[in-house]
Amino acid sequence: MHTRVKAQPVPAGPRLDPITIQLLWSRLISVVDEAASGLMRTAYTPSVKEYHDFCCAIFDREARLLSHCTVTTPGLLGVIPDIMANFARVHPPQTLKPGDVLITNDPWLASGHLIDVTVAAPIFHRGALVAYALCIVHHLDMGGRMATLESKDVYEEGLKIPMLKLYREGELNETVYEFIRANTRVPEKILGDLRAQLIANHVCTRGLLRLMQEYRLTDLRELADEIINRTEASLRRKIAQLPSGTYPYAVRLPPIPGCKERVDIKLAVLIEEDRITLDYRGSSGEVGAAINCCLNATKSYSAYPIKAVLDPEVPNNHGALLPIAVVADEGTVVHCRPPAATWGRTMISHLYPEIIFGALEKVIPEFVLGAQGCCPANEVYLHGHHKDGRPFMAIANHMGGFGGSARQDGPAGLCFPFNTRDIPIEVTESEATMRYVQKELVPDSGGPGRNRGGLGQVVEFEILSGERGPAEGYVASSVRLSGRAEDSDFPVLGRLGGGNGRGYGLAVNGKEVEHGIYRRLYPGDRVRFQVSGGGGYGDPKARERERVERDVAEGYVSAEGARRDYAVAIT
Amino acid sequence: MRLGIDIGGTFTDFVLIDDASGEVHVEKCLTTPAQPDQAVFSGIDRLAARTPDMMVRMKDVIHATTLVTNVIIERKGSKTGLITTRGFRDILELRREDRYFVFDMFIRFPAPLVPRSLRLGVTERVLADGAVLTPLAVDEVREAAGHFRKQQVGAVAVSFLHSYANPAHEKRVAEILAEEMPGVPVSLSHEVHPEPKEYERTSTTVVDAYVKRTTATYLEELAKGIGARGFKGRPFMMLSNGGTATIEAAKRFPVQILESGPAAGVEAASFFARLMGIHTLLSFDMGGTTAKLCIVEDGRAGRTREFEVDRVHRFRQGSGIPVSIPVYDLLELGAGGGSIARISDLGLLQVGPDSSGANPGPACYAQGGREPTVTDADLVLGYLNPNFFLGGEMPLDETRARRAIATRVAEPAGLEPVQAAAGIHELVNETMAAAARVYIAEKAKASKDLTLVACGGAGPLHAIGLARKLGCPRVIVPPYSGVLSSLGLLAAPIAFERSRAVRRLLRDLDPAALEKIFVELDAEIAQLMPPGRDTQHRRSLQMRYAGQDYALDIDVEGACTEPGAKQSWQKGYAAAYERFYGRVDDNNPVEVAAVRLNVMQAPPAPKLRPPGATADAKPKAQRRAWQPERGDFDIVPVYDRYALRAGQAIDGPAIIEERESTTVLYRGDRLGVHANGCLVIEVAAAKFQDLERDIENAHQG
Repeated sequence: MHTRVKAQPVPAGPRLDPITIQLLWSRLISVVDEAASGLMRTAYTPSVKEYHDFCCAIFDREARLLSHCTVTTPGLLGVIPDIMANFARVHPPQTLKPGDVLITNDPWLASGHLIDVTVAAPIFHRGALVAYALCIVHHLDMGGRMATLESKDVYEEGLKIPMLKLYREGELNETVYEFIRANTRVPEKILGDLRAQLIANHVCTRGLLRLMQEYRLTDLRELADEIINRTEASLRRKIAQLPSGTYPYAVRLPPIPGCKERVDIKLAVLIEEDRITLDYRGSSGEVGAAINCCLNATKSYSAYPIKAVLDPEVPNNHGALLPIAVVADEGTVVHCRPPAATWGRTMISHLYPEIIFGALEKVIPEFVLGAQGCCPANEVYLHGHHKDGRPFMAIANHMGGFGGSARQDGPAGLCFPFNTRDIPIEVTESEATMRYVQKELVPDSGGPGRNRGGLGQVVEFEILSGERGPAEGYVASSVRLSGRAEDSDFPVLGRLGGGNGRGYGLAVNGKEVEHGIYRRLYPGDRVRFQVSGGGGYGDPKARERERVERDVAEGYVSAEGARRDYAVAIT
Repeated sequence: MRLGIDIGGTFTDFVLIDDASGEVHVEKCLTTPAQPDQAVFSGIDRLAARTPDMMVRMKDVIHATTLVTNVIIERKGSKTGLITTRGFRDILELRREDRYFVFDMFIRFPAPLVPRSLRLGVTERVLADGAVLTPLAVDEVREAAGHFRKQQVGAVAVSFLHSYANPAHEKRVAEILAEEMPGVPVSLSHEVHPEPKEYERTSTTVVDAYVKRTTATYLEELAKGIGARGFKGRPFMMLSNGGTATIEAAKRFPVQILESGPAAGVEAASFFARLMGIHTLLSFDMGGTTAKLCIVEDGRAGRTREFEVDRVHRFRQGSGIPVSIPVYDLLELGAGGGSIARISDLGLLQVGPDSSGANPGPACYAQGGREPTVTDADLVLGYLNPNFFLGGEMPLDETRARRAIATRVAEPAGLEPVQAAAGIHELVNETMAAAARVYIAEKAKASKDLTLVACGGAGPLHAIGLARKLGCPRVIVPPYSGVLSSLGLLAAPIAFERSRAVRRLLRDLDPAALEKIFVELDAEIAQLMPPGRDTQHRRSLQMRYAGQDYALDIDVEGACTEPGAKQSWQKGYAAAYERFYGRVDDNNPVEVAAVRLNVMQAPPAPKLRPPGATADAKPKAQRRAWQPERGDFDIVPVYDRYALRAGQAIDGPAIIEERESTTVLYRGDRLGVHANGCLVIEVAAAKFQDLERDIENAHQG
């Protein structure tokens, strides 16, 4: 497949000037955006096409992140550098050949749970390895118990793919596909999405080589140093403007289904001149439920809010991780060891930005947000067969309200800190034997505040009956919520005097049930849940009367809510 | 005689062509945003004064306008109500629940066009396969209408779940609304955009309803006004997809004319290229704020449905209101004459995407602008003539340009002002080239096959620099560049496209059944086409691996029933797939998603008079202009475009000045003046001709 052509003598390129650096930097981002567009266009499941839980990225020869696609979810941004470094350790550059493709979903070496599969390819330019293309996708299924917090260890959670070569010099290792096919619920769709990942890396490789050729680059060393150093220096400058000190915070998670222990997350944020240390020591030990975080997941969602708050406009790369250190004890829920169960690690990892905001509420009040209403998670999984034998696997999520901030009310139903798109009702209803009954905003659910939290929503769906019902007579399901009811000890928190977000609960056929666990649903069953509004920001009594009146007129706040929360009488 | 009228943000342009004599009349008025037809009528009156029998002899009037976009951006449309399936009134506000930029903690979205208080659910339910689960509650529709009446709602959008699969309930609502709210315009989602994905369909339908009354009033006034001036023919509107439609059709689905201006620009570029037998090109329109590029292949530009209006951040995809209408698949960049240059916090030079706009404009306009722009750099480099900008109407102040560049760019970067100006010019070209390379590669095209056709105020000045970077061998600068898109209105072919969903595996398809679909589509189109002219047919299949959404368009040559046809489609698909995405071991079956037929009828080509000069023009002046390859100034001859003779040849370096723009040639470029008035420039040996081969070699070893 690969014929060897004698390498041409290469003229030494001129040193990069400030014009060219800017250009090449922007170009590295368009290259991965193009890769992401190839991924979406050739994918087989709504998980990629609509849900956007993926990331495409370029790394230099030293496995340093140079750029990632614009459409992505932040939780992957901090883990992909670790994944690439681990690939390079297990498969050192000198063992790689053109046409090789690496694959893994090992939670400790990759992104922290089995359901994300990473595929990476070395990029060769004139015979030398100059870079890597990487694509990670949250797949619909990797076998094991389906989408539940109940697993006690990782072996229950599905198929683990060690760091293998999926392709050797352009030759497919069919065995890998056969194992995946034999272990997953909708194998052809999973393999289709996996192929789309290969395409993403191919498009990325082509784009990078075109760029190197156009600008007569022989390698990416100088460019990588330039953009990484500039990014690091920029973030350090921003950190240096903060008051040095130690800022502690702690939360106790709501009870986790199937888990006896209550889990504490402890954090101390240390700001020392131009660096930040996030110290999670003292957090609870790992638990026998699928919520444990590998250190990579903890690092990822810890670094993200710092970059987002302090230096959002400078493109993200390896340099943005350098000023931030994460410290944790091994064997805890924030740094678990094999074989801890990790499927629902987001029950903890999605909370890190909020915990960091809690620690820094008084330090950077102008930057912190009220809590997002469905943080840490909302997720519906449905699996079964149509009457004609076609298997289906559907995933859907429904966002709570965004937190209020110093600048504005939180938008209704908007993702944070993760960033997945909703899967349209019409797409899910075409995939699975179900229909939505309602999906609508809930008045008064936004946490009151000078700037109000965004509204949460109520969602109800029904399993179809008769010809359109499931072939087995039931649908395998799980519905995961935040666990943060208003009257719990960990509600959706407001900030700087703002009220908490409201509205929470899960019921099947009108009866309250536990979230996050496996459940069979039968034709006619109705599942109804509420995801909360976002936390408010600032004293609600300080909200301008006209804004309260407008909220009432539009149905965001009731007349009673206006009186109670804002002391505004509506006549 | 035919008249093209294009209302842009600043100017309303007119082009009148006398098809008998080839004479072209051009007119330009300031746009009158409050009442756009005022500018239209005053332009027509001025043209009519010069051409006495114009109104009587005029056969067609073709019109494009940015009116609809402005109505949305300025929130000046009707107070609009929305009827949805009960339980789903907030689809419009919830959008897709994701953030278009993950690092923005204070992310903003455009306000929904229908406030929550005017979004009402009614009882009804259709399932994904079109079956009715719950019949429509007619009394609830009447109640909703009552509420809207009380609220003085001026337009209603109706968007029910799965209405694309079964439109019965939406149709019934339209009937009831016609009784309850006579005269109030109604938009139905299954008519506006009959495709799944409820948010995008609802959003598109709401936009349609929101602008319907304003658009209708405007178009009626327009038709009346030109009728009163003696026009007997039918006025046409240009659509966003480049087709033309009657005023009646445009009034029915005003959302379709949202992007008609850029469509006309692309058509004008293709028209001039076609005159020279060139059918594959890259149109390049660079104005004050943006640059727009579009690939035209075999005379046809690609289309996309990924379109947004009213973005919060102009160049950030996802920050606007999605409108799923077919539009030209353009590349739009924040790179224009007004693009602002600065040294960023990271110590790097940046140009754009923000622009100084018309006010205050570049520093050299001397209207208070302090920030250096591309135009300032072009002036300092000697490309622009300070005394002949807009034909001399606007003198440019070189001292201010130089000062702005010195203080904002040169000093912070430790450069000389001229070096900084050269950097700005280079960077804006390279920015466009970098984005264009990705755009061209995404379409699996090679720039060495593309002729660059340049227009817009800044287009001809930057075209050759851009062509050199891309490796395009030839640049065409059409005449009338200041009013080019209105000329495009007259040159655009009448085209109709019809498609039909198939969604079956290729191996299970009966070729005879496919052939029948093509014949039926052809019959549908034939009813819409004016009779008696030559038509071109293009048949294609939308193909994908079963399970994917996105399909590739594969041409069908000849009849579907020809032996071996299926194999050749399958081969065509596999080859196209590999070209776009590389080789994958995909042995999934291939599905035909849809059948598509495009029928085109070229209008009578505008006959243009050749340039009048009988002798070669001599340079009207000489001036210093920057030569990037030498890194220094040269003394360069300057020509008056209007004095050039057809057939005259000019070797670079040279500058050609006309009223609205300036063409800049470098050493080695050779310009010829075509009989139709186009400047045709053969670009000096393009730098990266063998790029594709080089890449292949590089990857392999």
